[in-house]
Order: sequence, then structure tokens, then C-alpha cells
Amino acid sequence: MTAREVVELIKKNVGVQWREGGRDTFKIGDPETTVTGIATTFMSTFDMLKRAQAEKLNFIITHEDTWWNDPDNTKSITDNPVYKAKLDFIQKNGLVLWRFHDHQHGRVPDQSVVAELRLAAIDDPKAATSSGAPYVIPETTLGELAAKIQKKTGARAMRVTGDPKMKVTRVRVGPGYAFPRMTPDTEVIIGGEAQEADGGFDYTSYARDAAALGIPKGQIMLGHQVSEEPGMEEFTNWLRGFVTGVPIKWIPAGEPWWS
Amino acid sequence: MDSERISRRNFARIAGGIAAAGLPVHGAAAPTADEVIKQIREGLGGEWPANGIDGLKAGSPDTPIKGIATTAMATVEVLRQAVKAGTNMVISYEPTFFGSRDTVAPPPAPGQQQAGGRGGFGSALNTDDPVYKAKKEFIDKNNIVIFRLRDHWRTKDGQMVNGLADALGWSARRVPGDLAIYEVPSSTLADTVASVKKKLNLRAGLRAVGDPKTKVSRVMLCPGAIAIDVMWNNYEKVDLLLAGEIREWECSPYAVDVVSAGQKRGLVTVGRVVSEDPGMRACAAWLKTVVKNIPVQFIPAGDPYWRAS
Repeated sequence: MTAREVVELIKKNVGVQWREGGRDTFKIGDPETTVTGIATTFMSTFDMLKRAQAEKLNFIITHEDTWWNDPDNTKSITDNPVYKAKLDFIQKNGLVLWRFHDHQHGRVPDQSVVAELRLAAIDDPKAATSSGAPYVIPETTLGELAAKIQKKTGARAMRVTGDPKMKVTRVRVGPGYAFPRMTPDTEVIIGGEAQEADGGFDYTSYARDAAALGIPKGQIMLGHQVSEEPGMEEFTNWLRGFVTGVPIKWIPAGEPWWS
Repeated sequence: MDSERISRRNFARIAGGIAAAGLPVHGAAAPTADEVIKQIREGLGGEWPANGIDGLKAGSPDTPIKGIATTAMATVEVLRQAVKAGTNMVISYEPTFFGSRDTVAPPPAPGQQQAGGRGGFGSALNTDDPVYKAKKEFIDKNNIVIFRLRDHWRTKDGQMVNGLADALGWSARRVPGDLAIYEVPSSTLADTVASVKKKLNLRAGLRAVGDPKTKVSRVMLCPGAIAIDVMWNNYEKVDLLLAGEIREWECSPYAVDVVSAGQKRGLVTVGRVVSEDPGMRACAAWLKTVVKNIPVQFIPAGDPYWRAS
């Protein structure tokens, strides 16, 4: 089976209309390469690629970019030694990289959110729709909810804003940079990362001022990788349902941070 | 100087000088917010377009100003401290009302969705929002004037960088000819991080990439947010790049890959607001030279994050 044939199977099974012109394209390598194995990951870091290669998996399906910018534009970095070393490694080992991002988030429910919800002990795909009411959880406090997620993820650099003692029942969960809406009926939003200030809506400043004013609004920032990596495990299990005959393995990129 | 021709502004300066000498001042009317803003504009120069980011965000320009507080962000906590300290004008580097334009929409009609939601995924802040309402009430009740000063301050003589360097104890160590690179006493990344945490009074806001044992002596300081091209263009010059915030899916994997490629470097982010506080301390010092007749102080906004235990 070639890499292109794997992608055709994904397109056939994805369940939403395929849109060309977005992020989900081959990034490097020959799509006609015969696949010896598939490695899936949140992000095709250099280290992740080395681990995939060591396991003889030559087709990498990555949720995020490879060249450290969302559109994977490499025009200005062709002389960058890190770019050259990573590119050299990819080419020498005949790796093929393809991104699966837009259509993963476009699926209903979004695999990233389904898996992310489990980090908050919400095992219900219905909670993964971004519209409608916030999801109702058994009453807890922001401090307890954050501690539970902390334990479940083992995240090294999770950041919380709001009064730890505030009561929580209504939450919204969003993947990666897509922080959920802090609607009037929402108490806590859980997401990957958000611009801290001077953006479209400054979630962090809002939660911070709410806490100072005694208004129950909180925010749990997991980190981009922590929020979306489990979604690629979810994707991997889904992929196994219609791609057979080649090994398929989820190779997490790992949390970049320590603190 | 002909005493009859002493302008109101010069008189205020002289009066301020007397006040600083500990003598009571009688009869000197406090300048209005508008007059203070004029002094800031003249002091910094440049164009001040009506649609720019910098400008009045709350309060009346006619308000007599008793004292000025500078901060990275006019949070509710900062405003409370400002009031307690007897100041009624806050100069904020970042927005007050939770978005770059400080705008607030009218509430939606019954049964309607909120129109004009800000940002791709953002909540639509409207005048009925409880956090907005309570903050606005506090501002109005205390007659606080809030002036945003970002664009014209960050372009002034590298003050945001100098301020951060000063807070870290490195201001005398700037590499000649470079605006943001410092040669600091050699230490491991782990020890440098511990020291930065302490000096900037951080809670959960600090995050690091890189081998904790990496030796650090050349540091680049980037208060605020940086984009990936800043790393592409500068990371190789230093052992540590310390920024306010970055885009996690662009800059942090680059820092990770740099290590995988065999280079020994670290990336540390301390949070956007925390990285900007020291530059606003520098702003307070500068304001004292321009607005001489009003007490000016700095109130840090501080680290908004805590860690779950």
C-alpha cells in the first residue's frame, strides 16, 4: 500500500466533505512510497521522527506542522541548520509526512475533543460538540477539577486561572488553540493554549478579574500538546478500522515543557 | 524666567518640586487627565492616530488627577491597589476589557445570538456581562481614568527590554551593539530558571524547553509575544531565549528540535503580562520626568496562573 492509498482511504472514511486547499496535505516525501508502517502523532518533531524511523514506520501522519509554522512555509529557513538536519534525516530515511488537522476537527464529534474530554473524566462524545449548552459535570470546585486533570495527564506545565474554591458544574472543552467560548452559562473553560492578552478575547484576563470580583469563571490551560495528543490516539484506533496489513502506531510527541 | 509668563505646566512643575521637598502646596489645581495625556504625547512624540491602540479606555478626560499608577495590565486587583494608594489614573500596557480593542457590544435582543463575537473562537463581551459590569462599576465609582500606552512606549529606547533586564538584575550586562542580548554570569538552565522565577515572582507562569543542565551565559530578552521568525533569526546567537509568550505549536517544537539537532539552548516563557510589568516600572520612572507635579508609582499585574496540586 502506498501513502497516497492510505490517504485515499482516510478521505473515503472521514465522514465529512473533503476540502482541498487547507492544511491536510503531503508535506514532504513521495506519496507513491510503499508504506512499511504508519506512525501517528500530535507533532512530527525531530525526536518523534527518529523514534518512528527506529521502528521502521515510514509514513508519518501528524496533526500539527513540521517546520515550526502553521502553513509549513520553508522559504526563509533553507539555510537553517536545524531545518537542514531534520530534512536530511527525513530524506535519507525515505519518510513521507502528511498532515491530518482540519478534517479531524471538522468531524462530528471531533476526535481531539472526544479524547480531551476524557482527561476531565467526561467519557461522552455528546459533550464534544462546540455548539449548544455547556457540559454538566457533578459539582466540584475548580481546584479539585484541575487536580483531577493534573493527575490524569501528568502535565508538567498546566496553568489554571480563577478562584480554586469556585463551584463548577458547567464546562466547555476545546482543542489546541481553539479555546471554547466563555458563554454566560459556562463556568470553566478547558483548552490547550490561548494568547494571554491583546487578542480577540482575553480569556486569562477575564478569568482573573472574575476571580477578583467573586464571579465564578475559571480557565484550565492544558498546553497545546497535552490537549491534542490523545486525539491522535483516538485517530489511530479509528484508522485501524479501515487500514489493514501495515503496522500502525501512535508515537506521542511528548509535552515540550518543564517548569 | 519672567514669572508672569510661567505657563500652567511650568508652574505645576515648580509646585511639584516644592511638594517633593516636603512643603505643602496650596492653590495648585490638579491637572486633568487630558493635560496629563498631552504631556505623555509630547514626551513620547510620534503620531497618535484616533484609531490607534493607545488612548483613553475609561473615565473622563476632565478628571483632576491625584496620582498615576503604571502597570502591564489594569486588572481589578491593580485598580483596587491604585485606589488604595490614592491614585486615580492608571496607565496600562495591555487592554482593560479583555480584548485588543477594549470594545464591548450591546447585549443581544431576547432570543437572539450575540452579534459581533470577537475573535475566531472568542466570547462576545457585552455590556450585560457580569465581569465587565462589575469592573466598569468599580472604575466609575472611583472615578478612575485608564489610558492604554503600548505602541508609543514599546518603541521608546528599548525600555521594555531594559525594564525586564533590570528586574532580572542584568541591566548592566547588555552586549554592546545589541538591543536585547545580555552576557550573564554562567549558570545552568535549571538554576537560571529558578532565579528568574524568584525575581519575577512567578507561580505557574514559567515554562521551559531544553536540557536543565545546559550552560547559560548569553540571554536574549523578548518581553511580550514573539513569532517564530524571531527564533529563526536569533536563537543561534544565545544559550537562552526568554520571552513573554509564544505560539506553542510553532516556537516550542522549534526549541525541542534544536536540542534534537545537538544544539544546547533553552527557551523560557514567563507569561506575556509578567514579562511586560518591569517595562511599565521603567515607564513610571520616565513619567516622573515628564509629569512632575503628580505622584507616579508602578503596580505590577503579576502572574495570572496557578498550578493544580
